[in-house]
Amino acid sequence: MAKPDSLGQFEQLVLTAILTRGDDAYGVSIHSKVEELARPKAVSLGAVYVTLDRLEDKGLVKSWLSDPTPERGGRAKRCYRLEGLGERALEESAVTAKRVWDGIAQVWGKEWVKQWSKRWVTQ
Amino acid sequence: MTIRAIRALIALLLPPACREEVLGDLQERNATSGGFCIDAMRTVPHVIASRIRRTADPQLLLMHAIALYLCYYAAGWFMDRALLRETWGLARPAIPALLVLLVLLLEDAYSKPGPRSRLQLARGPLIAFGFVFLAQSLPSRIVLVGSALSLPLTLALRLLFSPQSTSRQGPV
Repeated sequence: MAKPDSLGQFEQLVLTAILTRGDDAYGVSIHSKVEELARPKAVSLGAVYVTLDRLEDKGLVKSWLSDPTPERGGRAKRCYRLEGLGERALEESAVTAKRVWDGIAQVWGKEWVKQWSKRWVTQ
Repeated sequence: MTIRAIRALIALLLPPACREEVLGDLQERNATSGGFCIDAMRTVPHVIASRIRRTADPQLLLMHAIALYLCYYAAGWFMDRALLRETWGLARPAIPALLVLLVLLLEDAYSKPGPRSRLQLARGPLIAFGFVFLAQSLPSRIVLVGSALSLPLTLALRLLFSPQSTSRQGPV
């Protein structure tokens, strides 16, 4: 079984966006989800395209062109879905993030973490 | 310039391999033409850079760079040795070499995805050497001899080590 490369933070966001969008994962929908995940930071559509290309080259995602739609001026969408390698890479990242979270909670206390997470969720 | 012409220009700037989906996404995100143009100006450079990264092979580029520089250097050495002894003389053969590399990079990025014929692979170097003649960065006779030496090498490198071409899937 091939071992996935470790992911950068932005790659994690894009993979998470593809995962959560499911069958509707294409440029615009992925970008809006990434913006939601990365808030309050702004994310450019171009940066999402660059990352999608890189993830495809790494074999973490697969893309295909859908049928053209009128609201897009008769243009097709490029849809994305996670490959097995991408799912494993995202899982590894999530496990690492959980360990980081637990480490912080252990040192700074659960009450502080609760307040901190509430602050970020409402932003 | 009309909005229609600007849109056509943006479509032209986008590499064919990703033109369809990027134009569709920009259209979907922007109801107004102004928004479309601003969004395109922010997005298109990223798309071009990403396409160049995907289609460029660093090892092949390095081989091209060495072969091209040596050919123009050799042409300068045989035709006008004094030119190479001037200040920045050794850098002058690098100008046509860089120009050819730039055209080859763009030609690969803007080619349609999928396998390419020998004729299509030869198109890039031929266009590139046309630009070298127009640029006149070295005396004409040096450019002529240097290009005559480097053209077969460039063609051979491209035919032997065909540039990468990502095979994105079509409609399902």
